[in-house]
Amino acid sequence: MMIRPMRIALPAVLMTAFVILCAQSRPVQSQPTPGAQNAPAGNADKGKDAFNARMCAACHGPAGQGAVGPQLAPPGRLFPDFVQKVRQPAGKMPPFNAQALPDAQLADIYAYLQAANPGAASNLSSLTGDAQNGGRIFVSDGCYECHGRVGQGAQQTGAPRIAPPALTIDGFARYIHAPTGNMPPYTSKVVPDQAVADIYAFLKSLPPPPPVKDIPLLNQ
Amino acid sequence: MRKSKDDSPDARKSPRPVDRRSFLKSAAVGAAVIAANPAASRAQQVEARNAARVVPPAPIPPEAEIGAPSRLEVLTESRSGSDFMVDVIKSLGIEYVCSNPGASFRGLHESVINYGGNKNPEFITCCHEESSVAMAHGYAKIEGKPIAVFAHGTVGLQHASMAIYNAWCDRAPVYMIIGNIVDATKRISAVEWAHSVQDAAAMVRDFVKWDDLPASLPHFAESAVRAYKIAMTPPTLPVLLVADAELQENPIPDDLALHIPKLGQLAPPVGDPAAIAEAARMLVAAQNPVLIADRLGRTPAGMKNLVDLAEALQAPVVSRPGRMNFPSRHPLNQSDRANALVGQADVILGLEMIDFWGSLNASRDQMRRTSVPLTKNGVKLISINSDDLFTKSNYQDFDRFPEVDLAIAADGEATLPSLTEAVKRLLTDDNRRAFQQRGAQFAAARQQSLERAREAAAYGWDASPISTARLCAEVWNQIKDRDWSLVSATTMINNWPQRLWNMDKHYQYIGAQGGYGIGYGAPAAAGAALANRKYGRLSVNIQCDGDLMYAPGILWTTAHHKIPLLSVMHNNRAYHQEVMQVQIMADRHNRGVDRAVIGTTINQPNVDFAKVAQGMGIYAEGPISDPKDLGPAIKRALEVVNRGEPALLDVLTQPR
Repeated sequence: MMIRPMRIALPAVLMTAFVILCAQSRPVQSQPTPGAQNAPAGNADKGKDAFNARMCAACHGPAGQGAVGPQLAPPGRLFPDFVQKVRQPAGKMPPFNAQALPDAQLADIYAYLQAANPGAASNLSSLTGDAQNGGRIFVSDGCYECHGRVGQGAQQTGAPRIAPPALTIDGFARYIHAPTGNMPPYTSKVVPDQAVADIYAFLKSLPPPPPVKDIPLLNQ
Repeated sequence: MRKSKDDSPDARKSPRPVDRRSFLKSAAVGAAVIAANPAASRAQQVEARNAARVVPPAPIPPEAEIGAPSRLEVLTESRSGSDFMVDVIKSLGIEYVCSNPGASFRGLHESVINYGGNKNPEFITCCHEESSVAMAHGYAKIEGKPIAVFAHGTVGLQHASMAIYNAWCDRAPVYMIIGNIVDATKRISAVEWAHSVQDAAAMVRDFVKWDDLPASLPHFAESAVRAYKIAMTPPTLPVLLVADAELQENPIPDDLALHIPKLGQLAPPVGDPAAIAEAARMLVAAQNPVLIADRLGRTPAGMKNLVDLAEALQAPVVSRPGRMNFPSRHPLNQSDRANALVGQADVILGLEMIDFWGSLNASRDQMRRTSVPLTKNGVKLISINSDDLFTKSNYQDFDRFPEVDLAIAADGEATLPSLTEAVKRLLTDDNRRAFQQRGAQFAAARQQSLERAREAAAYGWDASPISTARLCAEVWNQIKDRDWSLVSATTMINNWPQRLWNMDKHYQYIGAQGGYGIGYGAPAAAGAALANRKYGRLSVNIQCDGDLMYAPGILWTTAHHKIPLLSVMHNNRAYHQEVMQVQIMADRHNRGVDRAVIGTTINQPNVDFAKVAQGMGIYAEGPISDPKDLGPAIKRALEVVNRGEPALLDVLTQPR
C-alpha cells in the first residue's frame, strides 16, 4: 500500500486579481492609442477642466500620470470599458453616475488623457495581427489556463473575461508584460510584439456570445 | 492489557478463555500436535513460560495427523469482546462502518456483520482507507453526525491520514476505530509485527481531537461514548480509538460486569450573554454592517438562524464556500459583491470563518508577496467561532490572526438565535424604517448580480471543451424540480451553482475538502450520497478528474452498495491548479510557459473515465465534448440513478 502525496490547492483568494483600474498603471508609455477610434470625439481642453473639476487629478495626478490612484494617461482601456469603470469602479474609487459625469464629459476626459501623456512611440498598433496564429499562441502560452479557451474568464482564477478586449492593444501589452495584479508577467522575451498583436487579433475575432434571453437554460 | 491465560484471574475462576494467539498457533501450526501429543504440547508451554531456556521446536510426527485427541482444546466461543464493542457502537446510533478489511480488526468486522446483523452499523466495503474516511467526512456533512471507520493501526491509518487531516481542517466529526496488537508476545507472524505499533494514534494525534487506547471492555465502552461526545461537541472533529485485537477477540469473561455509559443530550457551546448583547449593540448601531459566514451551516438550523439575523438587520450576507449558509437567491445574499461591501462596512460579523483575515485583505502572489486591507479605517470586527475553543499548534490550519474587536468563542449556529433576539430588543421604529430602506437596495443589487452571472455564463456557451457554466446550467435544468443535493465542492467550477442555481436547503451544498487534500471529492460525494439515500434525495457530484485518479475504487463501492449518485465529470485533463502554479514560476523566471504541462497534465494517454467506471460496474458515458450532447446524456444517466444506482458522465471541460 502506498500513501498518495497530498496536494495543496492554492486558495482562490491568492489568485484574485487586482486588474481592474490598476491595468492602466504601467510605466511603459505609448502614443495615443487605437482606443480613440472607439471613443466619441472629445475636446481635450474641456476634458482637462473636467478632470480637475471632478477631482480626478487628486488621485490620478494632474496629467493622469498616477498618484494615489493608478496612471490613466494614455488610456489603456477602450472607451466603453473606461466609461464602465468610472460608473462601477472596483476598489476604493468612488463611482460617478451619468448625472454626475455625463458620457460626453467622459469623452472629453478621454481625449485629454490621450493628449496629456503620449509617451514613447509604440509599434504595436501598426502591426497586423494573425488571429489564427494568435489562437495557437493563446493555447501554447497558457493564456487559456486562467482565462478559458475563448477568453471567457474564470472566477476561481481571478482572471477576467478578455474577449472581446476591453483594453487597447497598448494597454493589453503593458498589462501582460508587467501586470499589477496576480497575473504572472509575460515579458516581451516570452511574448514578443507580433505575438501580442496575434493574440489581440484572436481575441477580437471571437464571436460575441448569444444574448442571454435566447438561452432558455439561463432563464430559470 | 490482556494477561497470559494461565495467569489470569478469570482463567482460574471460570472456564478457560480461548487465547486468540494460542488458537492461531494450534490451528495453523500445532493443533494436531497438541491433540495427538500432549507431551509436545506441554513442552511448548514450558518453553513459553521460560524465555531463558531455548528449546528447538519439536518436529511434527506424521502420525500426529491421525491420532485421537486425549484432551480437547476449546476452539470456539459464543461471545467475544468485539460483540460488546458492536453493542457500544450501536448504542451511539452509528449507521455505517466504512472500511477496507484488515486482520487487526477482524474480530470487529465479524461482529458487525454477524452478531450485529450488518445493520446499524452496516459494513461498507472501501478499496482504500482514504476513501473510507472521506466517505465518513461527506456523510457527516449531510447527516450532522459521524459514522465509523475501521482501519489497521499502521498501514491503514497511514493511508487514512490525509483524509483525517481534511476532516480535521473541515471540522467534520469522523469516528476512527483502528486495530492493533498491543502485547508483543501475542503477535505470531511478521505480518502482525509489521501491523503493530507502540502508540498507534501518535501519527495523527496532531489532527484528531481526542484518542484513547482502552485496556478493557468497560474502558472501551466509556472511551467510545466519551469519543462520540467529544467529536460531536463543536468544534466537531475526528476522534480515534484503538481497539486492541486481544480485547476484540478474547471471550467476554462471565463475571465481567459490562455497562454502556449514557451519552445524554449534547448542547453546543453558546456565546457569553454580555458579549452577545455588545455584538447586538454594535450591529444595530452600524450604518453598513456586513455578515460573513463560512463554515456556519453545521445543521439545517444554521441557515435559518442566519436568515433570521440578516432579515432583522436587513444586512447583506456574504456566504463563503465552507458550507451552505444562506439561500443563494435571497435578496440579502450579496456574496459576489464581497470586496465592495467589506470596503464600505463599519461593522463586520464573521461567523465560523475559516480565514477571517483573508476575507478582509487582498493578497498578491508575485515575487514580493504583498497584501492590502480591503476594509476602511475604524471598521469594527466581531467574530463568533468555535475554533476559539480548541486549537492545536503544529499544523497551521488556524490561519492568520484576525484583529477582531469582539471575539466570541462559541458555536456560531447555536449562538445566532440569542444574538438575533438581542438585536430585535434594541430595534426602534426608526431603525426598522432605515433597515427596510437598506434592504431594498440589496434586493435590487441581488437581481443585478444574477443578471451579471447569466451574462457571464453566456460567454463560451457553445465552446468545446464545454464551459463549466454550460455544464452547471445543463445539470440544473434537469434537477431543479427534484429534491436534490450537490455533494461536491464548487470552487473549481467558478461557483456556478451558487451563482446560477436556486439553493435554499442545508443539504444542497456541503463545502469542500477542508485541508485542500485532493482525493476527497469522489469518496466524500459517495458518503454524502449514502446519507441522502434514505431520504430519497438525488445526489449530484461534479467530479474533478485529478481527484478521481487518486482512489477510483470508490466507483466500485458505490456500485456494490447501490448508492444512487450522478457524477458529472469536470475533466480538464490536468491537475490544473498546478499547471497554473508551474506557469507562474516559469513566467517569473522568464523561461516561457510551454513546458508547464510537464508533470501537471493527465493526458497522453487520455483517461477514458467512462470505461473506468464501466469496469467498476457503473453506467457511464463519455467523453462528451459537444455541449449539445450533454443534456440528453444527463437525462439518460438520471434514469439510472432513479433506479437507485450510480452513473457517471465523462465531460471534457474548460480548465475552470
